[in-house]
Amino acid sequence: MSTIPEYYKIVEEVFEKYKDKEFLFVGRHTQRWDSIEKIKGRALFTADFARLYSNLVYVHSVRTKYAHARIKSIDVSEASKYPGVLRVITAEDIPGINDVGYVIPDQPLIADRKVRYIGDIVALVVAENPLVAREAGELISVEYEPLPVITNPLDVVDLMTLKEKPHTLVHDERGSDILVHYKIRRGDIEKAMREADVKVEGVYKTPFQEHAYMEPEASIAIPEPDGSVTVIASTQCPFDVRKAVAKVLGLTLNKVRIVVPAVGGGFGGKEDVANEVAAKAALAAVLTGRPALAVHTREESIIGHSKRHPMIAWYRHAAKKDGTLVAVEANVVMDGGAYASLGPFVPWRATVHATGPYKVQSARVDVVRVYTNNVYTGAFRGFGNPQVIFAVERQMDLLAEELGMDPVELRLKNILRVGDETVHGQKLTEEHGVGLEEAVMKAVEASNWFELRRRYSEITGPVRKGIGIALFYHGNSIGVEGADYSSVTLIINRDGSVSIRTGLTEFGQGSTWGLALIAAEILGVPPSYFKIENPDTSATPDAGPTVASRATVMGGAATVVAAYKLRKRLNEVASHILGCDPDDVVIRAPDVYCSSDPSRRTRWADVVEQSFWLGVPLQEFGYYRAPRALWDEETGQGAPYITYTFGAIVADVDVDIETGLVKVNKIFTAYDIGKVINRMGAELNAEGGAIQALGYALMEEIIHDKEGRVSNPNLSTYYVPTIKDVPEIIPLWVEAKYRKGPLGAKGFGEPSFNAVAAAIANAVAHAIRANVTELPITPERVYMLLKNKQKT
Amino acid sequence: MSEVGASRASWNTYRDVEVSFKVNGKEVRVRVKPYERLLDVLRNKLGLLSVKEGCGRGECGSCVVIMNGKLIPTCLTLAVRAEGSEILTLEGIAPEGKLHAIQKALLDTYSMQCGFCFPGVIMASKYLLDKNPDPTEDEIRDALDGNICRCGSYLRFIKAVKLASKYIKEGKVFFDESEVLR
Ligand code: FES
Ligand code: FES
Repeated sequence: MSTIPEYYKIVEEVFEKYKDKEFLFVGRHTQRWDSIEKIKGRALFTADFARLYSNLVYVHSVRTKYAHARIKSIDVSEASKYPGVLRVITAEDIPGINDVGYVIPDQPLIADRKVRYIGDIVALVVAENPLVAREAGELISVEYEPLPVITNPLDVVDLMTLKEKPHTLVHDERGSDILVHYKIRRGDIEKAMREADVKVEGVYKTPFQEHAYMEPEASIAIPEPDGSVTVIASTQCPFDVRKAVAKVLGLTLNKVRIVVPAVGGGFGGKEDVANEVAAKAALAAVLTGRPALAVHTREESIIGHSKRHPMIAWYRHAAKKDGTLVAVEANVVMDGGAYASLGPFVPWRATVHATGPYKVQSARVDVVRVYTNNVYTGAFRGFGNPQVIFAVERQMDLLAEELGMDPVELRLKNILRVGDETVHGQKLTEEHGVGLEEAVMKAVEASNWFELRRRYSEITGPVRKGIGIALFYHGNSIGVEGADYSSVTLIINRDGSVSIRTGLTEFGQGSTWGLALIAAEILGVPPSYFKIENPDTSATPDAGPTVASRATVMGGAATVVAAYKLRKRLNEVASHILGCDPDDVVIRAPDVYCSSDPSRRTRWADVVEQSFWLGVPLQEFGYYRAPRALWDEETGQGAPYITYTFGAIVADVDVDIETGLVKVNKIFTAYDIGKVINRMGAELNAEGGAIQALGYALMEEIIHDKEGRVSNPNLSTYYVPTIKDVPEIIPLWVEAKYRKGPLGAKGFGEPSFNAVAAAIANAVAHAIRANVTELPITPERVYMLLKNKQKT
Repeated sequence: MSEVGASRASWNTYRDVEVSFKVNGKEVRVRVKPYERLLDVLRNKLGLLSVKEGCGRGECGSCVVIMNGKLIPTCLTLAVRAEGSEILTLEGIAPEGKLHAIQKALLDTYSMQCGFCFPGVIMASKYLLDKNPDPTEDEIRDALDGNICRCGSYLRFIKAVKLASKYIKEGKVFFDESEVLR
């Protein structure tokens, strides 16, 4: 197709029209439509619906005893006879296909041939009572043939050669445990390395991170009289859940309905595990003919769902004397755990961003993701980017030190600006919105960087102080990972209230409210007139997954399209009523008037009523598909993302060198997210992302023992930040608008996490004058760093 | 835990017990199993769904309610322990159509993310303000340390509790719902 789709023109036309206008609702503080019900505790989350079904049955997952073993036999006869048990389900009872792999089919819902990690399920027990189900589960006997357990990804590949080592394969059916290998090849790396004045290199490690969303996974499945099934599910991606459930049950897509009520956090974690949990409930419902609840305990949640990919990376940076970066080399190994999950995509994002938001003349980057017997890893806010940011930003500080430059100066010398090419050869233009320099300046100024950097360097005594900076960029939406589309239906009801239907989900981030603000602005109707319907695969349009910071950008663009078309029609009706030109019509619900003569006025409700009687449709469907991204598999050259969000973080810390304890005092977060749409959402994201990343920097790490068991599967052993850990967070905004985005907006869900841990690490390194190479920076690690420093 | 076998009593074998207590000002009488958690009874038998289960182990604070003037995790409390007690949950914190000052302050500070932790946070804040009408920032941090908010609205909670304390001191304990959302 060579013609430019109409929706591109509309989004750009609307951008032009509004770019210098003062907004009524967009960018302002507003109360979300669901605030009151949530503040009253009335919002219903998935498990809350259990009460509606008097004949509910409970699904308990019986999990493996070994992280790696062949299953020789399984005997469920005792459990099946246990009083109160309705059904025991094993792999052979699955009517459709036994697979819940999110991207590739490598993950059985119920293990058949072998188990690959400690969360694998060997059987489901369905009973009248959850405790009975659990009790009966203990009567299932499985005969295993244990296999060697692989918990170290470097037992699978060599870090320097990235060649696979001989080992007992986790996925023997694939013939290799390397899932993907992505590359960037740019310029003449050998020559650049030879000719460089300075080089720094290091090996960096980041941990498994647990999402720890407060609402554990849950699904309720209801068998319908027509043979279809409805599932209430805590998920970010209802249409993906539908696909997974249909596959497991052997049903067509239109026989599976997924409804998403309030969701208690997601952060990327409620992408694929939601498929598994919904499929478990659906299976039980279909096989027993009764509504079924599957809900994870906190421990099951921690053991049985994806984590942030741990990374081990070797980096070498080379620069000229004046600080110009000339070359970056990197070998990155990501631990995928037992299954692919989002694993084909996370390392790709890591690859794209592997050299940071800098001009890099030559680069060689290799990123592999390997299978092990650890808990599988997948999507988590940032999606591979925070890991490489940590390595890159530590390297930049080492380079600055080597060159005797200030870390900020070195960065300013190399950052991407309008007119520069990314490491993929993508030229950044005015149209993309490139506000990195402004973000750096804002963060530097607000934090009093230069003065504190100098002052803190002189501190001695038991409590040291440090200040660190880290920059990032973050490709918006999903790039070449898949079909990048979104859709929204706007419905003006007879009374003038407005409904928004979209398959995008709200799980705390507030981005669907952003859609309401965009529609409100364009229609001229206050946000209080709006309601956003719960995602329901039988009623709301497929908008793609709610991931990759794409809801505001992609859903927003679809909203612009729908609202623009509706507004156009309404202006014509109003013009008909008022007798002025359609372009002259101002809608400021509840009033509608002529701009040239405000005394000629009518009511919003009348315009709606007139439209109804005139046969002017009051609903509109908006669709938007991102321009195609480009990526050459061999060289990593192209244009991987439509645009980028940028940011600069400065962290100010205290380190007690006697206890090793790090205390973060302040975090300055300067973000260029284009036009800020939902200000409340943006601010909360900036704070929430920073807090989660503070946990990543200082305390969060899922530990596997040698047998592949999780040593800290609950919230008293896996630490997340509490209110006592939270520093002052100073949000700063830069609005370099993305012209093809809705009103100039870019994405922000993930970027709020990205560079905070790296900034804290750099601050700690500054404080103790030691090379921080590993997260989290626990007191033990600080102690070791200081001890090793003393030795040298 | 011992192995389950034919010799051990199953969950199936326990008989119901009757428990009476007062919740949100109303007398209730329910039949429960001796092993049932107060959390499940409040939620499933009494429909008080604001009481959320985030961990089931006393580690997250999403299930806390005020029982006999004390803040307790209902996930670690057996329902039979409620006999004769007085319980307050989020549902009972304000009269119909009204919001408590804490709720109003949480809206005023734009603190809402996923909201799953909110019932626990509100109850813990109420417990604090009942005892200490004018808490310092440190006291607020101490009081809410047991409530995990993974979305990270913590800084707003601090502001909101201070604001609520101000409202209450001014005699504004309840607000009309309709005047809040505009
Ligand atoms: S559910 Fe009771 S404290 Fe977490
Ligand atoms: S608002 Fe989501 S956990 Fe607190």
